[in-house]
Amino acid sequence: MTGYRLPMGGRVNRQTQLAFRFDGATYAGFEGDTLASALLANGVQLFGRSFKYHRPRGLLGAGSEEPNALISVTRGPGRFTPNLRATSIDLYDGLEASSQNRWPSLKFDLGAINDRLGMFFPAGFYNKTFMWPRSFWEKLYEPAIRRMAGLGHPPTEEDPDHYAATYAHCDVLIIGAGPAGIDAALEAASGNGRVILIDEQDELGGGALSDPALWPWLDRSVKALAASPNVTVLTRTTAFGYFHDNFIGAVERLTDHLADVPHGPREKLWRIRAGEVILAQGAIERPLVFDGNDTPGVMLASAARVFALRFGVAVGRSIALMASHDSGWHDIFALAKTGVGIAAIVDVRDAVSPDLLAQAEALGIPVHLGHSVIGVRGRLGVKAISIARNGGTGVADLACDALLMAGGWTLTVHLWSHSKGTLAWRDDLGAYVPDQPNENVRCVGACAGAWSFGDGAVIDILPTPKDPTRAKAFVDFQNDVTAKDIKLAVREGFRSIEHIKRYTTNGMATDQGKTSNLNGLQIASTALNRPVADIGLTTFRPPYTPQTFGALAGHAKGPLFQPTRKTNIDSWAEENGAVFELVAQWRRARYFPKAGEDMHAAVNRECRMVRSSVGIFDASTLGKIEVVGPDAAEFLNRMYTNPWKALEPGRCRYGLLLKEDGFITDDGVSARLAADRFHLTTTTGGAARVLNMMEDYLQTEWPDLNVWLTSTTEQYAVIALQGPNARKVLEPLVEGIDLSAEAFPHMAVREGTICGIPTRLFRVSFTGELGFEINVPSAYGRALWERIMAEGARFDITPYGTEAMHVLRAEKGFIIVGQDTDGTVTPQDAGLDWAIGKKKPDFVGKRSLARPDIVAPGRKHLVGLLTEDPNVVLEEGAQIVADPNQPVPMTMIGHVTSSYWSEALGRSIAMALVVDGQNRMGQSLFIPMPGQTHVAKVSSMVFYDAEGARLNV
Amino acid sequence: MSEGLTRREPVPAEPVSGRDVIVRAAAPMARYALRARQASDVEKLLGRPVPHKIGDTDQGVLCLGPDEWLLLAPAGTALSAGEGAAVAVTEVSDRNIGIIVEGPRASEVLAAGCPLDFDRFNVGRATRTIFETVEVIIQRAAADRFHVEVWRSFAPWLWTAFATVASE
Repeated sequence: MTGYRLPMGGRVNRQTQLAFRFDGATYAGFEGDTLASALLANGVQLFGRSFKYHRPRGLLGAGSEEPNALISVTRGPGRFTPNLRATSIDLYDGLEASSQNRWPSLKFDLGAINDRLGMFFPAGFYNKTFMWPRSFWEKLYEPAIRRMAGLGHPPTEEDPDHYAATYAHCDVLIIGAGPAGIDAALEAASGNGRVILIDEQDELGGGALSDPALWPWLDRSVKALAASPNVTVLTRTTAFGYFHDNFIGAVERLTDHLADVPHGPREKLWRIRAGEVILAQGAIERPLVFDGNDTPGVMLASAARVFALRFGVAVGRSIALMASHDSGWHDIFALAKTGVGIAAIVDVRDAVSPDLLAQAEALGIPVHLGHSVIGVRGRLGVKAISIARNGGTGVADLACDALLMAGGWTLTVHLWSHSKGTLAWRDDLGAYVPDQPNENVRCVGACAGAWSFGDGAVIDILPTPKDPTRAKAFVDFQNDVTAKDIKLAVREGFRSIEHIKRYTTNGMATDQGKTSNLNGLQIASTALNRPVADIGLTTFRPPYTPQTFGALAGHAKGPLFQPTRKTNIDSWAEENGAVFELVAQWRRARYFPKAGEDMHAAVNRECRMVRSSVGIFDASTLGKIEVVGPDAAEFLNRMYTNPWKALEPGRCRYGLLLKEDGFITDDGVSARLAADRFHLTTTTGGAARVLNMMEDYLQTEWPDLNVWLTSTTEQYAVIALQGPNARKVLEPLVEGIDLSAEAFPHMAVREGTICGIPTRLFRVSFTGELGFEINVPSAYGRALWERIMAEGARFDITPYGTEAMHVLRAEKGFIIVGQDTDGTVTPQDAGLDWAIGKKKPDFVGKRSLARPDIVAPGRKHLVGLLTEDPNVVLEEGAQIVADPNQPVPMTMIGHVTSSYWSEALGRSIAMALVVDGQNRMGQSLFIPMPGQTHVAKVSSMVFYDAEGARLNV
Repeated sequence: MSEGLTRREPVPAEPVSGRDVIVRAAAPMARYALRARQASDVEKLLGRPVPHKIGDTDQGVLCLGPDEWLLLAPAGTALSAGEGAAVAVTEVSDRNIGIIVEGPRASEVLAAGCPLDFDRFNVGRATRTIFETVEVIIQRAAADRFHVEVWRSFAPWLWTAFATVASE
C-alpha cells in the first residue's frame, strides 16, 4: 500500500524529499513531516505493540498525546532515544527509527500470546499472582515481567551529547501557541514587559496549523511576534512542570530535528520565573470506548484532520466516523473536501443539528444516528466495522480502512494542576475546567473551556449487544487498561479514583492520562453510581511529557557534575604519584606509593617515618572558622562541652561539639589568638555543618552576643609536620617565633612568619608525635610545602596521606567523628568524659546527657580491640558477638569502627563500639568474618605511648 | 619578603574567550570580612563611609547583609584587627578568587546557572547568591562586566562552567 499523500495541501515542503528508515525499510517523506505523517503517507498503519498485551497498535493522535506509537530513534553511538512519540519526531534526512516491545518483528510478535490469554491478566494480576514465594520477586518474577511488558530499551552507551541550561525571567509567560496563546502573546507584547511564548511543536499555531483558513492570520501574527523586541519565542520547547511561585521548567530541543548533529547543546533546560503565567495548552480529543477501539487505523477525528490539512496525508481511502460530538462531523467534512472517500458517519446520539445532516447529505455521506460501533475487523489494520442501533440487536457491517473517533474534548489542565489550581466540573463539556488559581496564572482558549468545539454527548462506554466481559474496549491505550479493568476495580471495592488509578494503572506513568483520564472517570462514575465530581480526579504530576535525563541534568555532567575541591598542595601530590580518595567534596592524598609498593607497604613506611623522623601532611581541608567579637569566649563556652573562658591567648584546646540530643557531632582543636579572636578547626566533612549549626544558635538562641563567625577554611593552606625531627626541620624557616619546648609547648599557637610569609603556627599533634600545623595564606601552600620538603631532606622527610594519618591517630586512640561515632555516641560512650566541663551551667546537649536512657547501663562504648592473632586485621564494620556458638541470627553486641595494621606495634589494632564495653576490659569477644571467627580482647583505645612522653619534647 | 615563595592560583592566568564574552581571573587582592551591628562601627574602623543598604557597594565595600560587609582592596592592604570594638575583622584575602565575566553575553553566562534576574540587577549592585550549587558573590561592575567572588577550591569548577557556557 502506498500513496496516501494527498495531491495537494498541507504545510509540508513538497520540493524537499527526505529519506528515512523505519524497522529497516526505507521510506521517503517531505520536509515538515513528522515520522508519523511520513509513515502514514507511505501506507504504514502499524506503529507498535501495546505495553501489556502486545496488541498491534497504530496512531491514536497527531501530537504529544499519542499513547501508542512509541518509537526508538538512533543516530550513531550513544545517541539512542527510546519511547519517542512518532507524532512528535520531526523528520530529517537519514532518520533511523524502530518500533518497540515486539519480538521477533512488529507484524509477528510472539509476545502477543499475552493478548490471547488476556482474560487471565486482569487489573492487579501481577500483584495478586506473583506474591509468593517472596524471594522469587526480585530474581524471577520482576525481570520476566519487565522483559514482557515494556516500553523501549534504555540506552546502554554513554550519552555523548552536551546539554545546556539557563534561568530566565519574564513578566508574562505564555505556554501554548495556538490561536489563544498567540493572541495572548500579541497582547502582552504591546506592553513593556518581557514576554516568553513557548510551544512544543516545530512551529507556532497549534490547532491553526490544521485550519488553512487561519494561515494568513498565523503568518501575520508570527511575524509580529518575531518583530517584537520584548518577546522571546521558544518552539520545540515543552513546559514540563509548574513549580512554586510561578517557576516553570521547560526543555528546548535544539538538534534532534537536524540531519547532521551540529556542535553545541542537544537540549536546553529553561528554568523560568514568570510574573504572570498564561496557560493556553488547548484540549485533547477524547477517544470512545468500544470493542476493538485500539485496532490500527482507529484514531481521533482531530488527528485525521491534522494529518490531512497540516501534512497533506490521508489516514485512509475509505474513512468512517464514530462520533458523540459535533467536532467529528466538521473534521469529516473537512476530510471529504480534500477528496478522501468517506464511508459513513455513525453517531451515538439520536439527533444532531439539521445543519450537520444537511452538510453530510450535500457531501453524499451516509449517516447512522443512534448507532454505535460494536466491533472492528482486521488485526493489523481496520478492514471493516460492525455497527448496531443502540439497544437493538441488528448488526450491519461497513467496509472501511480507517475509523475516526470523536468523543468530545478534554481540557489540558496538567500545568494548571501542577500549580495547585482548583478544578470545577462542567456537565455541558463533560470535563473539568480551571477554577480558582493558586498562583498568578490564568487559562485562555480551549484549556479554559472557552473554545467552542460544538455540542456533544458525554458517554462512558458505547452501547453494545455483545457480552461486555469479552469486549476489549480500551480506556488507557498506553497502559493497556480496558473498561472492564476499571469495572473490576470497582467490584473489588476500590472507591477512590486515586486507588482505581493505582490498581488498574489507568492514567499513570509517562502518558499522564492525556487521552484516558476522563473516560476512566466516567466508567468509574457509572459503576459506582455517583457523579464524576464526587469521585474527584487523579493528581497530575510533572513531567507533562517525558524529558531526557540529559536535559534535566543540564551542564552537570563530566567535569561539571559536581566540584572536586582541591587544595593548593594537591598538584604536588598528583605530580608525586599520590593515590587519592574523596572526603566530602575534597580530593585528598590517601598515600604516596614508591615504585613497587602496594598500599600497605606505603602506609607502613609513611607511619614508620613519622614515628622515627618526620612526616609532612596536607591538612588544608580541615574546616576552619574564625570566631571574633567581645563575646567570642562566651559563645564557644556555650557551644562546646568543655570550658573556654579561661583559655589564655596563645593556647589551644580540644573542643567537643554535641547536638541538642547529646550525641557527638564534631570535634577539633581550636586556638585563642586574642581575647576576642578564636581560630576553630572542624573535621573536613563537618565544616559547613558546624558553621551552620553555630550560626543557627547565634541567630536564634543568643542574638544578644556580640560575636561573628567567618569561614576561613580556604583562607589557609595547612601543612602538618609531625615526628621527632619536626622542630629541626622548622627552625631554619621560621622567624619571630621561639620554637623551643619551653617557649612553645604542646597545644599552643604563635603568629610569625615562615619563609617570609605570615603564619599561624599551631603546636598540635594528631599522631602522638611532636607536631606542628603551619597555616599560611592558601596561595603559598605548595611553594611552602616544597621549601619544607627541601629543608627536611636531611631527615628523609616523608609525605604521608590520610591512610597513615588514620593509623597514627588510631594508635593513640584519637577518634574520627563519623567513623568511630555514628550520631548515637555520647562523650561518655566515647570515653571522652574528660572533655565535659562538669562545673559549666550549660552547653549544647548538656541536658540530654542526663536523660534516663543516656545514663542507663548497657550503652555501647567505644573501646579498643586486640585480636588474639596479632596478624589478623579485622574488617571495619564487622559485627561482634559474645558467644560464637549461639544459633544464627546471633545477638550482635557491637561492631568494629576502625581497624588497621600498626607498624609501630607490629600487630593489628582496632576500635569498636561494644555494649557495656568499658566494663569488659580484658574480656574475649568474637568477630565472625567470612571463613573464620576471630577472637579479640577488649582493651584501652590508647595503644601507643599511653603516657604521652613523645608529645612533650 | 616572601623569599621567592610564589603564589599559585587555581584558575588560569590566560583569559578564555567565548562567543561575545571573555572570562578572566581577577588579580590577587586583599579581602576582609567585616561584621558589626552598626554600619557606623565599620565606618569608624575604616575611616570612610560604607553602604548601609544590602546589595549596595561603594568603592570596594560590598554590603552583603544586615551586619555584613566585604572589603575588596588592593593586594597588601592592611587593616586594624578592631580589637576591643564590637566589630569582627577577618582576613579572607586568599579564601576567594575573583573571576571577571565581561562582554555583551556576560549576564547570559551568569544566568545559565544563577537564578537572579540580571535585567533588574543594576550596575554597582552586589549580592551573595549561587551558580548552580556553588556559592558566589556577584558584583555588577558595568552593564556588561561582572566581578564574581568564589571560594578558592570551587574556582576551577566555576571557571569551567563559565567557559563552557561562554562557548555555547
